[in-house]
Amino acid sequence: MSGQSSSGSALPADEVGIEIRDVSHHYGGRNGQGGVTALDHINLQIRPNEFHALLGPSGCGKSTLLYLIGGFIPVQSGTIATARGTVTGPGPERGIVFQNFALFPWKTVLQNALYGLEKLGLPKKEREERARHFIDLVHLTGFENAYPSQLSGGMQQRAAIARTLAVDPEILLMDEPFGALDAQTRRVMQEELRAIFERTRKTVVFVTHDVQEAVFLADRISIMSARPGRIQHVLDVAVDRSGGDEVMKRPEFVEIGEHIWGLVRDQAIAATRGAH
Amino acid sequence: MGATASILWRYTPLLICLALWEIVATAGPFANQLLPDVKQVAEALWALILDGEIVNHGLRSLYRAAMGFGLAIIVGSAAGLLMATFRPVRLLVNPIVQIFYPMPKSALIPVMMIWFGLGDMSKIVLIFIGCLLPVVISSYNGARGVNPFLIWSARSLGASRATTLVQIVLPAAMPELLNGIRTALAFAFILMVSSEFVIAKDGFGYLISQLGDGGAYAAMFAVILVVAMVGFTADRLYGAFVRHQLRWREP
Amino acid sequence: MTRSASPSLPAARTTGRTAPGPDAPVAGIWRGVYRRLTGDAMIQILVIAVLLIGWETVTRLGLVHPFLLPRLSAVLERIFNNMLAGKVFTDLGLTLYRAATGFLIGTAIAIPLGVLMARNTAVRWFFDPLISIGFPMPKISFLPIFILWFGIFDTSKIVMIAFSCFFPVVSATYSGTLGVDKWVIWSARSFGATPNQVLREVVLPMALPQILTGIQIAVPVGLITTVVTEMLMGGPGIGGSMIAAGRFADSVGVFAGIVEIALLGAVVVKGVERLRAYLLRWHHEARH
Repeated sequence: MSGQSSSGSALPADEVGIEIRDVSHHYGGRNGQGGVTALDHINLQIRPNEFHALLGPSGCGKSTLLYLIGGFIPVQSGTIATARGTVTGPGPERGIVFQNFALFPWKTVLQNALYGLEKLGLPKKEREERARHFIDLVHLTGFENAYPSQLSGGMQQRAAIARTLAVDPEILLMDEPFGALDAQTRRVMQEELRAIFERTRKTVVFVTHDVQEAVFLADRISIMSARPGRIQHVLDVAVDRSGGDEVMKRPEFVEIGEHIWGLVRDQAIAATRGAH
Repeated sequence: MGATASILWRYTPLLICLALWEIVATAGPFANQLLPDVKQVAEALWALILDGEIVNHGLRSLYRAAMGFGLAIIVGSAAGLLMATFRPVRLLVNPIVQIFYPMPKSALIPVMMIWFGLGDMSKIVLIFIGCLLPVVISSYNGARGVNPFLIWSARSLGASRATTLVQIVLPAAMPELLNGIRTALAFAFILMVSSEFVIAKDGFGYLISQLGDGGAYAAMFAVILVVAMVGFTADRLYGAFVRHQLRWREP
Repeated sequence: MTRSASPSLPAARTTGRTAPGPDAPVAGIWRGVYRRLTGDAMIQILVIAVLLIGWETVTRLGLVHPFLLPRLSAVLERIFNNMLAGKVFTDLGLTLYRAATGFLIGTAIAIPLGVLMARNTAVRWFFDPLISIGFPMPKISFLPIFILWFGIFDTSKIVMIAFSCFFPVVSATYSGTLGVDKWVIWSARSFGATPNQVLREVVLPMALPQILTGIQIAVPVGLITTVVTEMLMGGPGIGGSMIAAGRFADSVGVFAGIVEIALLGAVVVKGVERLRAYLLRWHHEARH
């Protein structure tokens, strides 16, 4: 079961990675009355093989939107479709990485990476090879037999990324994956994620509230407003990224960052005031 | 749904069980044999209340439980705190704790009989020993886990070691200690009833055995249900007390 | 009660005296820890030895009436004779058999029911009030009812033990299963795990620490209950033997019984602790 039905929106796969059409979502309340409107008529097209960031203050519904794409919570109104069809549930072609890693704590790093491959029904030798390949890719070689609780936060998140990449999903959903890490580790992880993206070129949807992180990582950024969650702006970040760490100091990055900060600032202030 | 209705809804399963009990007791193959029906039990309970028997035996039991339990809290929490703070105390007490902690305390009932006879003292000491270990262990673990920065802050503000122990370590150990005391409360009731079953001339457990031996099954069921409700109520009251005590913590 | 006051754990540095300075060489710290541990263990064994020697001396000097406290040597001799006669093994074996059977029956009902309660609202609605009332009440008071229904042989004992062990395990399983965080479940589902696979491969392992905590409450309660049922109904088994000894004013027999059941309790409780450490070797608590 892939959690998708092939009927519904049928856009050509090479034009749209994820098609979000008129999606609204409410929490609490009854029959649409009361409660919180987390998402309000969201329309968004995410292109195939692009790194797309959903940027917004906390409580803007960006994680909800990600969970809807993942198929973890049912769509209440509107439709979400990928190249495989309408999303109706979770599926291995949409891999996800959570902020709190969500590793299986009783499995070693290797066993975690093998889990999804076992579900795919691959032969044992291939499973093992692929798991080790992706553990290597995230620089965890030597820690295959460690339990998650023996690893630092950054290493746990590497393991979670390896576990998700190992099943080779077409779409990679990331829910503030570096939010629980310290500043230095976060920088290193961002660079490595971008490098992995350059090599594997998947469609990535990356949820964050960090403007710098979004600018550094994403090809396109959707800026969301809070309560009700709406998409305010969609921006292209068309810059040359070669050069690793130094990139962030280039004037065009600084300029884009300041531009986005200007767009987000009012939303952030509104969100903090609204919360109290 | 109103508050009353939701409480009623919550406890509907209990009413269903009562109805099932009544059906099994009055109809079907087991009717009127080994299970008195609800009405008989209620009547027997009323009779026990009227002649004061259940109150007299109950107060005897609760006195024993309260004495043993209360002493265990005082001695146990102090011992745990001292073990966590002073190494010599820990080295002296820990081996004894290690030996007594896995032993089923009910095995001490015959010794209590030999040492203290059939009266109150044998039950009080048994309940005291049974309740002591959970309290000591939780107090020790709680005090051991206290954030050292709290202690350093207090000491640097000029608090003496004794003051620090009472004003910093004890409150910080409180959540874990209160948890251990809850376990002790359960042990107090188990050991109270057990010891009164085996050796006693009064108390809840004695009353239950006596009624059972005399074939007064409806009355026996009534007392058992009362004991069960007393244990339940004590735990609920304790839970409310703990919530009140720990209101400084996050909800 | 899940953590024992293990002697190998150094106390929080409440005094600040034992803390080595920050610039002490690492090897030196380890040597210090090693010396302190071995020293502590020695002292604690010494404490026990002093207590035992004190017991023997006090009774030998006639300071205590031998009926109140028999000589340690007499108690050990009795245990030795009981072993030669095989009585220790039949007594402890029967007690262990009853305790284990009751425990297994209680657990075998409690774990599936706890899982069902966490997953099905109707099951939860029905059992939640029953269990929240049953959990704190002294189950042992129901013993005369079970004797009435099932007689004075093993059935009533085992039903009583199962009934006592059931409540801690069912409530631990229920809250443990309910508390599994959704992210881990979602991860498994995103890899294509079916609901049954999610239950077996994710929910139960995640709830295992709590389930084991419930079991660690149920095991001592089960042993206490077993001994009481045996004392009340008599016959073979350690509780019955102790009551018989007490009735014949044979205090050596009573104390021998206490030592025997204490040893059984220690083996069982430590065994469950070992089992927990083994099953949870992935857990951060394993590395304290």
